[in-house]
Amino acid sequence: MRVLIILITLLSFLSSENYTFLVQPYSKEVELEAKIIAEIATASLHGKIKLFIPHITVMEEKVYSKYFTLSPKCEAANFVFVNKNLENETLCDNANRLFFTNNYRKLLSDDKYFGALFWNKSRPNIVFIQKRLEKREIELPKTFDQFVENF
Amino acid sequence: MFKKPLFKNPFYMLIPIIVISFILIFLLFATMQLEKSIETKIFEISTSDVFSITQNSAMHIETLLKDHDGNYVEDIKKNTLLQRKIDERLKTLLTPHIKYAYLLYRDNRGVFRFLSDASIHEEKAFIDQKFDVESPEWLQIYITKEPVIIRHTLLQQLSISYLVPILNHGNVELILAIDFSIHKIEEINQIIHTIQNGIVGVMSVIFAILIFVIIQTKQFSAVRKSAFIDKLTNVYNRNYLQKYEDFINLDDYILATLDIDYFKKVNDTYGHDVGDKILKQVANTILLTIRHKEDIVIRYGGEEFLILAKTRRDGHLVALNMIERIFYAIQENQFYISAEEAIKVTVSIGVNLVPHKSRTFQEAFKLADVALYNAKTKGRNKIEIYDENENTQNTCMSLNEIKEAIEEHRIRCYYQKIIHTQTQELSHYEALLRIIDKNGNVILPNKILPTIKGTFILRNITKEVLSICYQQLCQYPTVSISINLNPHDVVDESILTILKLYAEEKNIAPRLGLEIIETEDITSREDAKSNLLMLKSLGYTTYIDDFGSGYSNFIYLTEIETDYIKIDGTIIQKILDDKISFLLVKNIVAFAKEARIKVIAEYVSDASIYEMVQSLGIEYSQGVFFSTPSPLIDA
Repeated sequence: MRVLIILITLLSFLSSENYTFLVQPYSKEVELEAKIIAEIATASLHGKIKLFIPHITVMEEKVYSKYFTLSPKCEAANFVFVNKNLENETLCDNANRLFFTNNYRKLLSDDKYFGALFWNKSRPNIVFIQKRLEKREIELPKTFDQFVENF
Repeated sequence: MFKKPLFKNPFYMLIPIIVISFILIFLLFATMQLEKSIETKIFEISTSDVFSITQNSAMHIETLLKDHDGNYVEDIKKNTLLQRKIDERLKTLLTPHIKYAYLLYRDNRGVFRFLSDASIHEEKAFIDQKFDVESPEWLQIYITKEPVIIRHTLLQQLSISYLVPILNHGNVELILAIDFSIHKIEEINQIIHTIQNGIVGVMSVIFAILIFVIIQTKQFSAVRKSAFIDKLTNVYNRNYLQKYEDFINLDDYILATLDIDYFKKVNDTYGHDVGDKILKQVANTILLTIRHKEDIVIRYGGEEFLILAKTRRDGHLVALNMIERIFYAIQENQFYISAEEAIKVTVSIGVNLVPHKSRTFQEAFKLADVALYNAKTKGRNKIEIYDENENTQNTCMSLNEIKEAIEEHRIRCYYQKIIHTQTQELSHYEALLRIIDKNGNVILPNKILPTIKGTFILRNITKEVLSICYQQLCQYPTVSISINLNPHDVVDESILTILKLYAEEKNIAPRLGLEIIETEDITSREDAKSNLLMLKSLGYTTYIDDFGSGYSNFIYLTEIETDYIKIDGTIIQKILDDKISFLLVKNIVAFAKEARIKVIAEYVSDASIYEMVQSLGIEYSQGVFFSTPSPLIDA
């Protein structure tokens, strides 16, 4: 009996990964964000997506890995999602990859980004810029039309 | 129709439970409703001011825009001063609870865009910046043109949005929107939760009180039930009957009264402890025979039991069989008076098969008692069934009939002469009770007295007879009349009062004789003795009636100083053929002469009995040989 109890306890510890989210910080916003980015990336790219998020956090890694193959390097990725403020930091070029941001101002100021997913008045907002989509020959499905801005 | 005692029928225990459940369900729904209305009210109270201010702001902006008299959207986009004024106005709306305030328009594609935003720094939206809304409710405002409240369930930071339309030429051109932060609703919810907890607390207290009341009621019922059980026999006692007789549905039962035969002899022979043992065993035999969930057994008197046997739809045969089983079970049983010694016991049972024909339980019970009386008079160890026809036509009147007869003054006295044996001259009359029934038939006492024995009606009849005889005595001043009193009349204050009143009148008491049947009851009661002596002192003549029939106590005769003894008619009837009867009469007469008590012979029905009565020296005679009872006095 004692052995059985010890075994059950050990098994519980081993599978603790499955329920430790209860004591770990968890954000629904990250989950929602990951889902939207997954839809945008899938709509924008053909083939397997390799996502790179600069300075990715542990939680982001856990959540995003459910939807993407994460790339540890910008060079190896074909989709880059910049969701942190990277002042004066140089990333890899945008020749073979798509850049997406979570900052509307950054989207407007830097034409490397073809779109942005950002929180506006606590609501998720998506914006694609028409010219940049055309330049990158990205054809989004009709359902994305409402998010495309022509300026 | 509810007639069964409450705790005998579990169905009726369900009633309070169902009522309580309904009350609790009602309270639950009422509370839910109350919660809802409180929530709405609190929401109204907490937001109404903000909504009013927002509407005022919208009106103000509208006023600002009206001055420009053009396309609102274009006006704002072109006019920086106007933008600043609107921005300032929107900033006044921001509070710790109102997180955002902004002005929107909808472009040709149906996309919402900012025109003004009270937020600062990074959060401030640009003019024309696209704004994705999450709910189709936003579009509703274009149809209703009225302010809209949108509750957010998916957004983490926002709880409510309030949209106010700004109209231009009757169409919604702009929307002023404010977003409440989640803290506002948290505060409201906190208040609601406090109220909810209060209501739940009150409900719990009510529930606890109800449970407490139910437990107490159950305990009280248990205690009360124990008060209804006879400790010796473990059957219900008379208290039970008194409490529940009005609830017993007479349609559902037949009634049987059961009396242990010669129980007094058992007590006298073996003592009261053995008597109690017999009672216990008889009760146990009854309990073993009845159907427990249907029949009711009550110890009504000392050795008298009342059995309510439940009838079935198809008749009372099953119930009657059960009564028969009791009768035979007792008859066949051995009743142990000690560890080794056992005696046989028999019972007499009177059954009323038609209790539903009686108006009250007592009336139905009385009829069963009449049947029991018949069983006893027919020699005991019998079951007698009350026969409505037999008892109406040949035996007894019903209580109601007697009551009606009293009320309708149909009580009569018939008078039979008592003569001097030697001279055959009239001495006085005996007043004999009669009732004229509704058909004009004359009913004899043997059809009246068994029904009213032991009831207050017997007392009322005595009073009626006294009143009638008093009138006769007043009408015929030379006539004497004797009337029959039952032993209980002698100790009844109301009757004694009447007799005292009559005695105050001249020449009434000496002409009114009081005939009393000698019973164990009367001889053992000191007050009865003293009352008889008191009546004698008032001038009344006293008679001991039916002397020699059952209980005869010679010493008692001297104690009460009776004037007359009337030898029982059944002895006189046998005087010619039965030597013992002859010797008995001879000795009574001898004793009476010694004791200076006059003797009357009853039932002198023919010349040979008369001659014998004459030869024995009996001073007075009464019987059909001389006269039959007549409604008129032959004065």
